[in-house]
Parts: sequence; structure tokens; C-alpha cells
Amino acid sequence: MLLLELGKKSLEEAAREGASYTDIRIGKIFDENLTVKRGVPERVTLLQKSGFGVRVIAKGAWGFASSVDLTEKEVAETTRRAVKIALASSRLKKKDVALAPPTARRDKYATPLKKDPFKVPLDEKMDVLLQAERTVAEHSDLIRTSSAFFRAMREEKLFMDTDGSEIIQEITWCGGGLLGIAVRNSEVQRRSYPSPFRGSFGTQGYEFFQSLDLPSHAKEVGQEAVDLLDAEKCPSGETDLVIRGDQLALQIHESCGHPTELDRALGTEADYAGTSFLTPEKLRKLRYGSDKVNIVADATVPGGLGTFGYDDEGTPAKQVYLVKKGLFVGYQTSRETAHELGFEKSSGGMRADSPLALPLIRMTNINLLPGDWKSEEIIEETKSGILMVTNTSWSIDDKRLNFQFGTEIAWKIKNGSKEKMVRNPTYTGITPEFWGSCDAVSEDDWMMWGTPNCGKGVPGQVMYVGHGCGTARFKNVRTGLVG
Amino acid sequence: MVTERLLNVAEKTVELAVKEKVNQAQVASFLWDSALTRYANSQIHQNLASKAGGVAIKVVIGKKVGTLTVNTLEEGQIKEAIRQAVKIAEVIPPNKDFKSLPKPEKWTPMQGVFDEETATCSPDYRAERVKEVISTAHSKSPIVKAVAGSLSTDMLAFAVSNSLGVSAWAKISLASLNVTVISQANGSEGFGYAMQYSRHIKDINPVLIADKSAEKSINSVKPTKLTPGEYETVLSPLAVGTVFDYLGYIGFSATPYQDGQSFVKYHLNEQVFDEKISVRDDTRDKRTLIAVPVDGEGVPKKAVKLVDNGVVSEGSICYDSLTSGRAKGKRSTGHAFPPITSGFGQARPMPINMVAAPGDATTEEMIKETRHGIFVTRFHYVNPVEPTKAILTGLTRDGTFLIKKGEIVGPIVNMRFTDSMLSALKDVPMMGKELEQGETTTVPAIKLKKLRFTGVTQY
Repeated sequence: MLLLELGKKSLEEAAREGASYTDIRIGKIFDENLTVKRGVPERVTLLQKSGFGVRVIAKGAWGFASSVDLTEKEVAETTRRAVKIALASSRLKKKDVALAPPTARRDKYATPLKKDPFKVPLDEKMDVLLQAERTVAEHSDLIRTSSAFFRAMREEKLFMDTDGSEIIQEITWCGGGLLGIAVRNSEVQRRSYPSPFRGSFGTQGYEFFQSLDLPSHAKEVGQEAVDLLDAEKCPSGETDLVIRGDQLALQIHESCGHPTELDRALGTEADYAGTSFLTPEKLRKLRYGSDKVNIVADATVPGGLGTFGYDDEGTPAKQVYLVKKGLFVGYQTSRETAHELGFEKSSGGMRADSPLALPLIRMTNINLLPGDWKSEEIIEETKSGILMVTNTSWSIDDKRLNFQFGTEIAWKIKNGSKEKMVRNPTYTGITPEFWGSCDAVSEDDWMMWGTPNCGKGVPGQVMYVGHGCGTARFKNVRTGLVG
Repeated sequence: MVTERLLNVAEKTVELAVKEKVNQAQVASFLWDSALTRYANSQIHQNLASKAGGVAIKVVIGKKVGTLTVNTLEEGQIKEAIRQAVKIAEVIPPNKDFKSLPKPEKWTPMQGVFDEETATCSPDYRAERVKEVISTAHSKSPIVKAVAGSLSTDMLAFAVSNSLGVSAWAKISLASLNVTVISQANGSEGFGYAMQYSRHIKDINPVLIADKSAEKSINSVKPTKLTPGEYETVLSPLAVGTVFDYLGYIGFSATPYQDGQSFVKYHLNEQVFDEKISVRDDTRDKRTLIAVPVDGEGVPKKAVKLVDNGVVSEGSICYDSLTSGRAKGKRSTGHAFPPITSGFGQARPMPINMVAAPGDATTEEMIKETRHGIFVTRFHYVNPVEPTKAILTGLTRDGTFLIKKGEIVGPIVNMRFTDSMLSALKDVPMMGKELEQGETTTVPAIKLKKLRFTGVTQY
């Protein structure tokens, strides 16, 4: 039976069982993962995942059921199960679920690609990885482990709801990266390219992976990992901190992305990831950062890892301001949470990591908009400070206030020039104080960083999200917590 | 029978793969029925059930290994998946570290680890238990503002077969309840948390867990700020479990050990922790939760002494077949991950059945013996800062209290710790005599002579 027919049957079945609203997502995921480690293909895996999920409102409460078995009988049974679950939910509700108005559309969206990453022969991809990984390894005997990564993912999905949406999407992304670990006695240092967590990724074709040009950067990865073994410790104290994009992306993710998720702010993630210091009464009142700080959630940026046509509630991709000239002005929302705060529409942030999972408010691309500085100028105009590059450790409290990050590498800045390399750099702060101290944001090195491993929800889901940023400077930041 | 069906699928798929002229083949088939009722702001807001399943196929041609996971148990689709797995193996370079798929070893199924009532628990039953949680918490005090958490019931089954004769299976049920209570008075919030795991839904005690969480929450309102520094610290079993989870990930797994990133590598046969600390990873210990007799490669799970009276050694390391193949004279300890969730098998081999030897103190005695210290209910967002030194950072959460002269004197604002566990766990004056079962650890409360707190947050 055609997927559209199956979808219609589910919507009809749910209505017969008493649902007042139903949506169904039917999807298929292809996920190719390649890892070369220490000269051998450690992992060559392809995952094919398919199935469907039915979400209903019945008696004013939510129910959700999903299955991998895409047959007419199973779709009907799962739909009835979702309604039964909703009826159980209705035993414990304070009020009926209400949704912001729909944007019911019939449409198709596909990630624009030049070269389909799934059609590139495996051996061609493996050759690139092997060449890059060997270059890292052969740089020095001190390189204990070297790895090169490639990953491509494709999601084909149909969304239908009782508001009249019928949306077919094909989202493709790929990317990769490099890692070198140098060891001498018990001193261990690592360098990654272009960013940690197996590299950087974008909703583009194989051309994105090619543009990373791993083999050309491999020597530097090996060199810096080895050099770090002899670098001095990160100094402790307060100093001006310059952060490059491959660390700033995670700073944005943790200290702006998560706290502006409205489900967190409304307390519905309180049991696991936590809540948010950005509570609704602070909207359009709280100074989140300096006037240099402009942050948007934008699912429309070409090539961003969080770019799509529609979210998993059928809301079209859009850009919304979260922070404007330092003022906290917006949330990432769903139809339900948008209604809760009286917003006209959802921000289009509902996403599930598979058709079997329940959509949650997830980041799309959370971007710090470019400022008017050149990245080199920021360093040139810093009298004394530290430049930190490439995330390696991260931690933030459950309201997203107190954070601590570590980066792979740093350099001291003295009188406007990058000087001595520093190992084990860390910095810490309180979110609004930290962003309030931002006095320079670059434009020339602004780019999209893509990380495919954002965790949220119970049961846990892993989402692919993007962050656009360049380099930024923060005044009087506490650094060097680790002796 | 679920396991018979899964074993049949696995064995048949291996037969089909071998016909494709591969040297070796391994198939892990799995089914995972999960249901979860999640609540927040004292009402149910997410309520779901999911049926997942599929096969993970590994084919070997010479030393070339191709893996494909597909979430179907349907024969036609599986045949196509085999062809694709073979295609992968044909074109990739050989993996010189690959020795062989595991050979069959004697194993015995585990009894009493599956409960039908848990596997088939209804949404109505879960909703009623959640109702008890919420009403219990609110009945404790009018300052209880909101109750959040989840009650889940799961059935997980998998079977593994390979062309060398491995034929094994596992089936377990799991239930868990966690309760977060938020209280509010005079503009100040207090948080509390408690949880319970079991393989039997009927063992879950909503009233007890809600009561524990609410009490912590009510007592956490109006916290005072404490200056960062080194403090005597009493860690609840929840907090201890988180620390050992991370030590398992960064230290006792063969992956970081072979990469030179494990602290164990640099302290072989040294007493790195207090001699009171002994931890085994043993799936057959009745006090552990995820009791599966074999791993995701069908290898019987072996008990591993992770820490023996404070000493770590080569024997502390958990291996799967890939990492053991890479090391001289090592065999898999049965720590390959079962083929669940993404089915990638990408997770590193690591302990998930950690059981600590109990001490002889109660938590009350630990508090009584503390002059000026901190009681930690739970840690949040812990991450390694320097794995080879076992330096972790993270924050306290859901009930952090100041202890003075042997008594809890009041709540404190949550604090960040950044410290080496080689230092923090080196001097443990007291270990709890009661073990608490978590998801992957069964551990007691521990009193640390000192833990380094490096920051303070604002609530």
C-alpha cells in the first residue's frame, strides 16, 4: 500500500477511536559510518532504519505509539494504541492540550546536493580517510592513536496530520574529521580537525566532505598534538578570552541553544536535562548579553546541519531571533508551547531523531550573527589574553547558568600577537555575565559548524544541529581551573 | 517465544550469508518493546510506546569486515541486507587487527530476569502509579509546586548466531521510576530527586520514591552560598554511581586503554583508590539490573575485577572481540554492546554491571562524622576534563546540603566540582553498608575526605 494511503488510514482510524488531532510520520533513515583508526578500517557500517510514529490528542491529552513494522494491520493497531495511551494520559491532565494554528501545506523538500554521498564508491571514501589518517600517524612516533571519520545520513519522511498537512522531505547530510592523540609517559594531548566529535557536518552533498580536505590538514593535526606535550599549562586567573568558532559553537549550543528551548523553560524537561534560567517573565526584559550579541534559531541557512524544509509538526523552516542586541527576545517552540505563551505560530523547532521517536523541541541552527570585526583584528587589539580553540570538555548546570569548558589547544595573546601555545585550557563563567562581557564578534571567519550528537529527552534522542559563528572576545573570564 | 523467533532469524540469516561465499558471518537479531509515561508540572505530558527490532549483520571476507543493521525481521529485506553487507566487505581494505569472530563458549541462560507483567504493563497502570507519585509529593507540603519524572517499562530480547557456532540469547524486562520534586517558597526554589530500578514493575514503590524526593525538595528551599574550596563530602549512591559510570567509560574500557587515554594504563597494580574500594563488573550478581548472560557478539559475560581493594590492573579492562584481537594474549571479556538502539555496535566495550563491595557505615553515621562538609544527592552533566588523570567536572543537583559538626544544617546553592578521582577516591574514611541499585551500578554512599569544588551556581 502506498505510504500516503497508509497515512490516511491512520488518521481516519484515530478519528474513529476518538482522537481530536492526529499526525503520522513515516520514514526511512540511511546512516553510513566509516572510521579508519591506526591504519585499519575499524568501522564500516550502514544502518537502515524505517518505521512510523503516530501522535494523537484524545480527551485533551497526548498519546504516541510507533513501530518498525510498516503494514496496514500494524499501522491500524499502533494508531489504536496511541489513542489508548492518550486516554490514559487524560487521567492526569490539568487542562486540555491546545495547539497554535497550523500551517497546513502539501509540499516537498529535498536538501540541495551536488554529489550524492551515498553514490560515491566506498573505496573512494576509504582512500581519503586512510591517506589522511596515515599522515597524522606518520608525523611522529609519539602519535599513539590517529583516526579519520566519514558519516553520511539521509532521512526520507512523510508527515501527515488532520489539519491537512502532507509533506514529503528528503534530508541529506555528510561530513567527517580527523583526530590525533599524542602520548609521552602519562601526558596525553589530542588535536582534531575541523572540530571535535568526529568532525563537522552539513546538509550538503559529498562536496561538503571534499571541501574539508582532510589530507591537507592531517600534518597540522599531528604536529599540534605533539607540540602540546611540551606546552606550558594554561594560566589560572582572569583574562580576556578569544574563542574561535569550533569552541564558540558549543558555547552557543549549551548556554543559548538549550536554555531558549521553551519546553525546558516551562518545566517539562525538569526530570532529566533540567529547566532554564530564561523563564517566560524574563522575555523581552532580561539582558542576556552585550549589544554585540545577536542570536537566531534559523532552519533556513543553506548547508546548516539543522536546515530542513519543515519540522516534524509540519511547521515551515524559519528564522527567529532569540537574542537581539543583547536582549532576550525569543524562544524555540512547538505548536503546543507557542500556544501556551500566546505566540501566533510555532518557531518550527519540533524534531524527532527517528520515525519511532516522539518529536521534541530541538535546536535547528542556532547562530551568533556576524559582527563587524575581522578575526585577526580581535587578536591584534587584545593586549593580554588567551585564544582558545576546539572543544574537548563541557559541562553546564541544569538551568544553563554555570558552565565550564575545556579546549584542545590555546595560545597566549600578548600585545596583539598570538604567542606561546598552552595545554589543557579551561574557562568557566555564568551565562548572562559571560555574554554580557562580549565586546567583539568577527565577520570574516563566520561559518556553519555541524554537530550530530545533541542529546535530549526521555527516552534519549540524538539530534543533528548546526551553529553559525566566527570568533568572539569576552572580557575578564576565569581560566585555568585544572592544575 | 520471542527468543526462539529471534534465534531462528539469526541462524537463518547466518546460513544465507554463508551461501554468499563469505568466510565468516555473525547476526544479532533484537526486539525492544518500550513504554514510558512522562510527567511534568504534575501532569502527564508525554506518554508513549514503541516497538523496535531488527538484525545487525557482520560479514567477513578474509580480513575485510562489513556491517549492516536493518530494522526488520522480514526475510526478503534481510536477504537484500546480506547482499549489501557483502558488497561493503568486498570493497573496503582489510582490517589487520581483526582476528576472528568469537568461537562458541559455554553459557547458561539467566533465570528470573524477565517478568511478563512488566513487559506487558498497560498505560493505565502506569498512569495510576504516576497519580500516586504526584499526590504523595503534593501531600507532603503546600510548598511543593511541581512534580516531574517518568515511569518506564521495557522488554529487551536479542539473539546472536555466527558461522563458527555461536548461538546465544538474552531476554530481560526493566522498569524504572524517577521523581523530581520542585518546591517554592518566598521566591526560592528547592529541588529533590529519587529513583528506583527493578526488573519487576510491581516492585516499584511510587509512594516511597515520591516521599524521598519531596522531602529533599522541601528541605532544599532557600539555599545559602558556600565558598568554593575543598570539603569533606558525603556522596549519595546516586552520585557515586555517576562517578563510577564515568570511570568505566574513561578508564575500564579497552578502547581508551589502548588509545593511551585511560588512567588505568599509567597506574597498573598501584593502589590508586582507597583500599576500602572494590568494584566488580558481574552480570550474574543478583544485585545488578541489566542481567544478560551474553554480550552483543554472543560471548558469555565474564566477571571483571575493576578495582580490588583500591588497586587497578590489566585485569580491570573490559574487552570485546575487536579490542581483544588487537591486544596480545587477551580474550573478549564479553563486553560488546547488545545490538539495541542505533544497532551500530559503536559503543566502546565497558562495564554495565558494576557492583561495589559495601562498607559498614550508614549515611547518618557519615554525616555525624563530618565536621564541615557537603552532602550531594546527585551530580549533573559530569564530563571528563583530563581522562588520564581521571579529572572530572560536574555540578551538584536536586538536594545539596551543608554539614556542620555532624549535622545537616541547611541547603546550599549548587556547586561545581573539578577534581581528579584518583585524589578524591584515594581517601575514603567511610563506605556505606547499604547498596543501591542503579541502571549500571550498584553502589553504596561514600564519604570522601575531600572533594575540590571550583565554582558555585545561582540556585
